Amino acid sequence: MSADRLIKFELSKLNVHLPVRRLSLREALSSSKPQVVARDGSVHTFKREELELLAGLLPQADRDKLQLPILIALEPKLGRGTARISGEAEVKVVSQVLEKEPAARELLIYRPEVAILRRKLPTTTQYLFLW
Amino acid sequence: MAVALAVPPTRMELLKLRQRVSLAQRGHDLLKEKMDALVIEFFEVVRQIQEARAKALEQLMVSHRALSMCLAIMGTLETKQASKEAKRELQVEISTRHIMGIAVPAVEVEEVERNALMRGYGLHMTSSLLDKASREFERALKFLIGLAELEGSAFAIARELEKTKRRVNALEYILIPRLKEALKFIMMRLDEMERENFTRLKRIKAMLEERE
Repeated sequence: MSADRLIKFELSKLNVHLPVRRLSLREALSSSKPQVVARDGSVHTFKREELELLAGLLPQADRDKLQLPILIALEPKLGRGTARISGEAEVKVVSQVLEKEPAARELLIYRPEVAILRRKLPTTTQYLFLW
Repeated sequence: MAVALAVPPTRMELLKLRQRVSLAQRGHDLLKEKMDALVIEFFEVVRQIQEARAKALEQLMVSHRALSMCLAIMGTLETKQASKEAKRELQVEISTRHIMGIAVPAVEVEEVERNALMRGYGLHMTSSLLDKASREFERALKFLIGLAELEGSAFAIARELEKTKRRVNALEYILIPRLKEALKFIMMRLDEMERENFTRLKRIKAMLEERE
């Protein structure tokens, strides 16, 4: 396989862990086994304690807006170690978890904050690689 | 210094090479981001392992102390006899969960701690110290299962990290420098050809002027 094909193959594999369809927090809370199916066919299960933590951070009305898993988008153009969180409810939750100033629809977080976020929400957050 | 690729010095090849450099650079940047994310995950698991190991060792110490007390009070033979009578079947379900496409083990275990009646040895001939020692070992077993899960995760993440690092290094130190070297060669060759052409034209012009 040529080097270019290898690179293309590697890039195509970067996001296979992402779900085919994301679940809203309300759906996840009402499900007996809250889980999503990833693009590679594997099943990703959310921990109930995390879902309850998220439910405590959001008002009832916003539970439909929060899509799980929350995507931590890593984009090389933002600079190394910088990640973007998009979506109104997602930004609200992440700001509260990280004790940051709430932003409107988009939030930029940095490597130490990504580590804290992943520590507090290991199953309800996932990395997304963008280019 | 990277060895340049053998390429024909044409404009077509120059365009192709520019595309290849851009693809390799993009791959390198993304794989580096992946590597950083894996490092975060790896250190988090290592931190959890340290905590889990400390807890497991402490619990094992407590368990062995309880067993020593039991051996001293109840007697070695009696304790061994009771341990042979004890029965245990523990259901452990090992599945996988995924961190960035890496399958890491997820161990689900039923409640490890039991009451004295369920352990299988006779209660009227044994001391309460045996119950205490058994209980402490059951707690230790729970910690050890958790530790095994974490260590399995650390190994899986470390393997992926090693693979990703190798790819990033190959791109950073071999492929990209080679492509850039080839690009530089073609650009210099094309410039040289342009200069040659220019000189040739000037020479022809001078010769034509001389003839006139």
